[in-house]
Amino acid sequence: MFEAPHSILLCEISRHAIETPDKIALVEGDTRVTYAQLMANIEMTAHAMHSLGLKSGDRIVLAAQKELGFVYHYFAAHLLGVVNVVVDVASPRERLDYIISVVKPSALFSSGLEVVQGVACYSFNRPEPEEGQLLDTELPTIAADDVADVMFTTGTTGVPKGVCLTHANIAGSAGNTNGFIGTCSGDIEALALPLSHSFGLGRLRCVLMKGATLVLVGNFANLKSFFSVLDTWHVTGFGMVPAVWQYIKRLSGRRIARFADQLRYIEIGSAALPVEDKLLLMELFPNTRLCMHYGLTEASRAMFTEFHSHSDNLDTVGRPASPFVEATVRDDDGNPVANGVDGEICVRGNMVTWSYFKPEDNADSFYGDWFRTGDWGHRDDNGDFYLTGRKKELINVGGEKVSPATIEDAIRSLGVTDCACIAVPDPNGVLGEVPKAFLQKGDNQMDIDDIKNQLGRMLPPHEIPVEWEWVDSIPRTASGKIQRLKLKQ
Amino acid sequence: MELQVKEIIARVLNVALDQITDDLSSGDIPEWDSVGNLAIISTLEQELDLEFPLEDLFDLTSVRSIVEEVEQLTNV
Repeated sequence: MFEAPHSILLCEISRHAIETPDKIALVEGDTRVTYAQLMANIEMTAHAMHSLGLKSGDRIVLAAQKELGFVYHYFAAHLLGVVNVVVDVASPRERLDYIISVVKPSALFSSGLEVVQGVACYSFNRPEPEEGQLLDTELPTIAADDVADVMFTTGTTGVPKGVCLTHANIAGSAGNTNGFIGTCSGDIEALALPLSHSFGLGRLRCVLMKGATLVLVGNFANLKSFFSVLDTWHVTGFGMVPAVWQYIKRLSGRRIARFADQLRYIEIGSAALPVEDKLLLMELFPNTRLCMHYGLTEASRAMFTEFHSHSDNLDTVGRPASPFVEATVRDDDGNPVANGVDGEICVRGNMVTWSYFKPEDNADSFYGDWFRTGDWGHRDDNGDFYLTGRKKELINVGGEKVSPATIEDAIRSLGVTDCACIAVPDPNGVLGEVPKAFLQKGDNQMDIDDIKNQLGRMLPPHEIPVEWEWVDSIPRTASGKIQRLKLKQ
Repeated sequence: MELQVKEIIARVLNVALDQITDDLSSGDIPEWDSVGNLAIISTLEQELDLEFPLEDLFDLTSVRSIVEEVEQLTNV
């Protein structure tokens, strides 16, 4: 058995492997992995990575699919001090190429991704571990404050920003979350969220840190399959984004309520949830902890609220997640404002990033050690926080953050004179927000169906505007910035 | 009708028609996620001028079940 004092997560998984070796840690289809097997697989994968010449400080890209091989590689990298850059395997090629050009990885691991020029590419598939094949190399000293993961977020300018998270950050976030939700080793969680996103990856860390069981499920599309997993495994908790809740409601009505007695917790996050849905969830799950987080990749699960215990105040995004997290509201000059006054919400604590991958991205992101969330809101006299708007202009399509600039660039490339995109409420009431495009009338007015068809080949479906409007001109500031607020009026 | 339904599913998910086999189910391919599933339902309703009964939506999980439901609703 190895020692990895830099990683509380690995120390905890290792402890579970010793204390409860036969406990099931992970389930994928018919495969069950005990904590002893998980640890052995992590060590063997670390051994294989080491054999490839990967060493502490190197960066690797993990094109995440929900599979055991990803989990082994993710933690094996932590063991060696290799930095994970986790990306969605279905990322548009441009985004992937950009990330690779920025992080200059020593290797890329995936299943199903085409080979990337200039980068050593490997599969997640590894042979089963054998006796005596465990890592016996002496590991270099790694610090808890060394970077463990780089997660790329979508910036308002449309250029993804890499967020550096240390071993201490990711363990801090998992600890804060487990503390609030009350996860215990007896829990069995179904994970249908993508592992490439901060929310899904966070659930993986939370469950394994506690020595509980995680059942990997493809996604929520097939609710019959998801419900069957809840039944078969007697699942006690899961995480979902608000768009998934709308989907469950639309396709299955109240059927999910039959699991109310077995579900101890549901974690919700990544976008706002209307109050009427919170009330419905409380009615359907009277004894389940309904925990909603507020956070960003840069400051994962910064705040939490639980609907039943906050039933008299369902508008709040909650309070700091643990005693290790603080939140404040600042004005444009960075000065704290009084309770009830709107300003920018800023947070600091054990899970907050200390830097973006490109140091120049840190400009305007911090007030000292306070991270500026870019979200606008206030705090009341009880210490509850409220969001009143978004300073940043990302469009939150069912939890997927979409940059208006990305859509605008794509539309302009088709020959449209000028355009601007804003968030509007989803007319179907499912995704929360969807993009609306304003197009400037020109000499050569194109057909909107044509534009949509061509965009379909350039952008993922959720980035294609749902509403369209021709306007005489796009309002801009003197410096040329689009005045999106004017378009919203 | 079967081919028309499969063509619509392929177009909505932006995948090749030959991927849309009878046994393909929601969640089997990354493109057929919950957003894709909703898009399939609304596009079929719009283009074929029909409305799936709410109580049936839960069971429409495979290409076969969708084709059968559409055939039933259009009395083919």
